[in-house]
Amino acid sequence: MDGKTILSVDDLVIKFRLRGRILTAIRGASLEFYEGESLAIVGESGSGKTVLTKSFMGLLDKNGWVDSGQIIYKGKNIAGYKSEKEWLTIRGKEIAMVFQEPMTSLNPLKSIGKQVKEAVVLHQGLKGEAAKKAAIEILDDVGITDSERRYNQYPHEFSGGMRQRVVIAIAVACRPQILICDEPTTALDVTIQAQILQLLKELKKKYHLTTIYITHDLGVVANVADRIAVMYAGDIVEVGTAEEVFYNGQHPYTWALLSSLPQLGIKGEPLYSIKGTPPNLFNNIKGDAFASRNQKALKIDFEKRPPYFDVSPTHKARTWLLDPRAPKVEPPESIKILRQQWGVSP
Amino acid sequence: MSSKLKKVSDGINASMFEFAQFDERQAQRAGYSNYSYWRSTTQVFSKNKIANFFFYLVIILLTFTLIQPYLPNQKSPTEITIDPTTGMQLRNHEPNAEFWFGTNSIGQDLWARIWSGTRTSLLIGLLVGIWEAIIGIIIGALWGYVRSLDRIITEIYNVMDNIPHTIILVLLTYIMRPSIPTLIFAMCITGWLEMARFVRNQIIIIRDREYNLASRCLGTPTMRIINRNLLPYLVSVIMLRIALSIPGAIGSEVFLTYIGLGLPINIPSLGNLINEGRGVMMVESLRYQLIFPAIVLSLITISFYVIGNAFADAADPRNHV
Amino acid sequence: MRMMPEEGYFGANYEKLDYEQKEAILTSMGLRDPIHIQLKNFYSQLLKGDLGKSIIYRPRVDISRIIKTKIPYSLKFGLTALVISLALGIPLGIIMALNKDRIPDKLGTAYIVFISAVPAAVYYLFLQLYVTNLLKLPILFSPDKPSSWVLPAISMSLSGIASYAMWMRRYMVDELNKDYVKLARAKGLKNSRIMISHVLRNAFVPMIQYLPSAILYTIAGSIYIESLYSIPGMGGLLVDVIQRQDNTLVQALVLIYSSIGIFGLFIGDILMAILDPRIKLQRGGTR
Repeated sequence: MDGKTILSVDDLVIKFRLRGRILTAIRGASLEFYEGESLAIVGESGSGKTVLTKSFMGLLDKNGWVDSGQIIYKGKNIAGYKSEKEWLTIRGKEIAMVFQEPMTSLNPLKSIGKQVKEAVVLHQGLKGEAAKKAAIEILDDVGITDSERRYNQYPHEFSGGMRQRVVIAIAVACRPQILICDEPTTALDVTIQAQILQLLKELKKKYHLTTIYITHDLGVVANVADRIAVMYAGDIVEVGTAEEVFYNGQHPYTWALLSSLPQLGIKGEPLYSIKGTPPNLFNNIKGDAFASRNQKALKIDFEKRPPYFDVSPTHKARTWLLDPRAPKVEPPESIKILRQQWGVSP
Repeated sequence: MSSKLKKVSDGINASMFEFAQFDERQAQRAGYSNYSYWRSTTQVFSKNKIANFFFYLVIILLTFTLIQPYLPNQKSPTEITIDPTTGMQLRNHEPNAEFWFGTNSIGQDLWARIWSGTRTSLLIGLLVGIWEAIIGIIIGALWGYVRSLDRIITEIYNVMDNIPHTIILVLLTYIMRPSIPTLIFAMCITGWLEMARFVRNQIIIIRDREYNLASRCLGTPTMRIINRNLLPYLVSVIMLRIALSIPGAIGSEVFLTYIGLGLPINIPSLGNLINEGRGVMMVESLRYQLIFPAIVLSLITISFYVIGNAFADAADPRNHV
Repeated sequence: MRMMPEEGYFGANYEKLDYEQKEAILTSMGLRDPIHIQLKNFYSQLLKGDLGKSIIYRPRVDISRIIKTKIPYSLKFGLTALVISLALGIPLGIIMALNKDRIPDKLGTAYIVFISAVPAAVYYLFLQLYVTNLLKLPILFSPDKPSSWVLPAISMSLSGIASYAMWMRRYMVDELNKDYVKLARAKGLKNSRIMISHVLRNAFVPMIQYLPSAILYTIAGSIYIESLYSIPGMGGLLVDVIQRQDNTLVQALVLIYSSIGIFGLFIGDILMAILDPRIKLQRGGTR
């Protein structure tokens, strides 16, 4: 982690046309990714995490487009890429993605070996037997035993965890710079989850990847992330190192997320859940999107959108609470308890 | 001083930093969507311009077909007109002021015959559709609900599904002598399969799906489940089947007439008319006897087909707004 | 799955003979025996290849012989029509899927709608009427005029084109929406390669199940076309036979058509099992 920015998102706005109406999925998000780091984007379903990362590879659905803003990769603004030719210089080669659903991500009628080999042939310049050999090696790397025999097997002969390993193998075979893992463990059992995360960590080291994790599971985040970006309603509301966000989160939404951790639950009492639902992104949102669900919202939260306030050189959050004019607000009891448990100053 | 400047340029004053009232209902409202199945269905359907066109066309055609006999100056479809001056039958007259579509080879008014035939065909189609639905639903419900019948009915279904419909149609009409009830019966026999299968699947889904299990655990009465989950789909499927059964019925009827198993000539039907027209089509001046029925037939079949499919698409929740 | 022949209609037909004579004939044909004996006889004859004798059409001639002379014509036309249908229908379906909701798709859909909604008899008639004038093609078929093959074959292929195009389009659109296509794009594969190597290949598999039935149905002959163009094939035979009420022949033909249908689907299932690694044939396979 040497602090050099490999990818940066600048005030990005992404819209979708849905049955005649326009939905603003990303409302001016800004984020920087440093070379060699592991950054987790956290947020609930519908917050826009996947849409954001898909836009890095030009994989938005046909009815979506980048309305404004920039995505700078290696000095070029790839947000403006339109043609297939342009995106083919990025997909796989520079940025690769591991999807959420291992059960359906593979072509059921092709052997998994061939699917890995496809990536090898495309990105490593090998052909025929050499490519097959390289594919088998990658299968080994990701922990598939008896890889030579399993090369010829079909996806339905693999379990969920194994299929995910194959998908990871394909991604890694592309020799990318950045690896995006979209909820890589959500569809798997808990026991397998740890294995897959461990695998990803090892591969990151071996192939010098920058990894971006998309997840709503804070447990995963704690396991793998160097830095955390909290996303809500299409906007990045807080970003900082893992410790900073966990131990010193500043945005009310971050507090709400942390408060939802089941371990805070007291036996016999109802678990905490954030009241309300995320806003309807078809409408224009005035002010802070989280305001209506924030019990400690300020009047200005409903009027004007907060800018980023720095908490430290590496930690910033988009909340009016950090404005010097705002009243001092204590984090909720649950956060205080958490911090106590972690041995951090409340 | 600087903070005052900042305030002025921000347009923000200190009072904005006070706490706002927390309104839980507002929290919920932010994500609210009001969805009604039927409203969405009609919305999607009305957006489909082509379907709308055919829909209105059908309404016009239907109304006309029904009121035609009551309009002034309409002739009976079976009456053979005798020319008062020559005392002979007015055969094969081309369309003129008196006979808008002309006459056929034995002097009957083609205009009246066509509309009468349309009525017949529509009637058959409608009855077939309704009967199919009734039989299909009953069998399908039993099939799905009563587990002991599942095996038997599945076997019957498989056998019947594999035999080509045309053959059954031909066979039954052959045995039972062609007539309107025969036709309806024969088409129903082959038609109930699809409906039954659909209903059965839906019931099994309702019985076994997790969310319904959860719902039952919560005590939702079964009626409510059926109402919410089954009925909307059922109604739309029934309407689809009826809409599509009309072109199907007309098609089968034309087919049977062709083979010689059609309706007797004294009952005008589109199939008969086409056949009669076919008899004279080689003579160019008489060709109108084929063309007019063909046009009416095509309009009707295409219209119902388009509407039926468009409605099915609109009713599919995946296409809803 | 057995076809139970309908014995019920026998004996309802011969107007010309009086009651005793009818009874005599029917008994000699074995129709007055109890049902289970009739069935037994029927199947034992069937196995020997004996389909019985025609009564009215060609009195006392072996049905199997009659059929043998008719089949070649139906077969030839049917296969030609099938080839045309596939050659035109499948590419049409692909084009429609690739251009979903644009002009080619709409035109294709209009064609399919027309062919599906309007009874075949109608447009066959018009085709014969107008195209023969336009292109100066012969109206009736004769074996020695090659140009007389054209119109019947093309007419027969029209509905096939519509079906195959519709199915192909549907399967392709389904495949295009699947997750593995997204992965393939993320891999960096070219769109064309994804189409050919993944989507098309996968969409073809369900199409295969229609082939065996289609091939077998060619034997059955198209009833309309054959009578329109006076082709001496199986379809025409059925029409004649029904009109003349030759029961044994009707029975035999019905049996044949049904068996073709069942058999074709059966082979189709087997083919699917071979091609799709996920399907394993189960014993006593229910669908």
